[in-house]
Amino acid sequence: MTALKKSTLTEPELVLALQSKDQAVLKTLYSMYSSALYGVISRIITHTELAEDVLQETFVKIWQSASQYDNTKGRLFTWMMNIARNLSIDKLRSKDFKNSLKNQDIENNVSFVDEQNKVTFNPDILGVKQLVQNLKPDLQSVLDLVYYKGFTHVEAAEKLDLPLGTVKTRIRLAIIELRRNFN
Amino acid sequence: MSVENLKAYIESGVLELYVLGDLSSEETLQVEEMAARYPEVRAEIDAIEQAMEQYAMQNAVEPSADVETRLFEKLGFSDLEEQEEVVSNQPVYTEEPKIIRLDGSDGKVRTLRYALVACVALLVMSVAALFITYNKLNDAHSQIASLNLDKQKFAGVVSKLEYDNKGLNNMAEMADSKEWATIRMQGQAISPKSKMNVYWNKKDKSVLINYVAMDLPKADAEHEYQLWALVNGKPVSLGVFGKADSTSNEAILKMQTIQEAQAFAVTLEPMGGSVNPTMEKLTVMGGV
Repeated sequence: MTALKKSTLTEPELVLALQSKDQAVLKTLYSMYSSALYGVISRIITHTELAEDVLQETFVKIWQSASQYDNTKGRLFTWMMNIARNLSIDKLRSKDFKNSLKNQDIENNVSFVDEQNKVTFNPDILGVKQLVQNLKPDLQSVLDLVYYKGFTHVEAAEKLDLPLGTVKTRIRLAIIELRRNFN
Repeated sequence: MSVENLKAYIESGVLELYVLGDLSSEETLQVEEMAARYPEVRAEIDAIEQAMEQYAMQNAVEPSADVETRLFEKLGFSDLEEQEEVVSNQPVYTEEPKIIRLDGSDGKVRTLRYALVACVALLVMSVAALFITYNKLNDAHSQIASLNLDKQKFAGVVSKLEYDNKGLNNMAEMADSKEWATIRMQGQAISPKSKMNVYWNKKDKSVLINYVAMDLPKADAEHEYQLWALVNGKPVSLGVFGKADSTSNEAILKMQTIQEAQAFAVTLEPMGGSVNPTMEKLTVMGGV
């Protein structure tokens, strides 16, 4: 698994090197996290070329705004992942993406639309069948919308026709479920 | 904040939304404040973050290798300079086809230049050929003119010969004939060397003269010769005739008929002839 690629650098060391513009650390960072970030990006944007563009943009932004990262506010990965998610969602709403949709042939488009409308994960893509099985569908659907579809919890509540509180609770429950799985 | 309130805060789900980046900036600041103040909140956030990180790691997807290459190219990182050089060289290579293309149009220009030279050469040759042909045509024209002149000369000679031939034939016929009397007129005072024959038919009394058989001085433009017959001492006009080398093709000229005559004479008279002969201008005369 890509997680095994993690180098011996600790997070504070990474942050320090990154903020002192050490070019080598960005490569370390890339080898450590590119596939994790791409996993998120490629589920939001199924078009490979565009998804790869966003991955590149993500690392450019990480490099350029490294000084803005504050380790007292959260983990480095959370910061990076939020950059990746925000850029993905921006791309999803941009002209580029809408144009690329037009350029896709019907066959691809069908699978793309399927992909877009699907609320459950494709186990093959996900690669963690166990996780899917463990997570209850109603928890999974809420997490998907917020985590992969770029919905705010308010939008997700509208989409699923649920009270705002219920959505928040389900997100929490889903993440607790994940924590239990990983710990 | 009481323990119960803190627990309620943690369980509200706001921390998860914080980690997911789904809070307003105001709410985000509140959470950060809470996290700074309460280690429990900080720990909870950390746990959520780790869970999401694990989740992301578990769901990792390997991007294609060239994304990394392109990324570091874009950032201009040092140990990728070689690749950059290759990239920056590429425009040079892509310019080469342009040079070839320009060469191609150069070739076109060269071809056109050759064509132009060929055209000019052709034009010069054409002009030369035209000039030569024109000269030959002029030569031919002058040859034709000189040939025409020759032809006219020959025609003139031929007609003169025919004319002479007719006259001579007539002279021969007259000499042989018993029907015709030949009267030889001799030169008189003004022109002793002149002589001329008149032929007089004994039966029908017609009179002929033969230009070939006459030798008279050339008459000027205002005068011509007049033939007279002397009948019982009186001159009777038989008509006028031109000078010896008359342009008329007829060598033989028929004059007026006369029934009887003792002599014939020719005088030089003004154009159109006279009623009475000018005796001072008596050129030739001969008796029958």
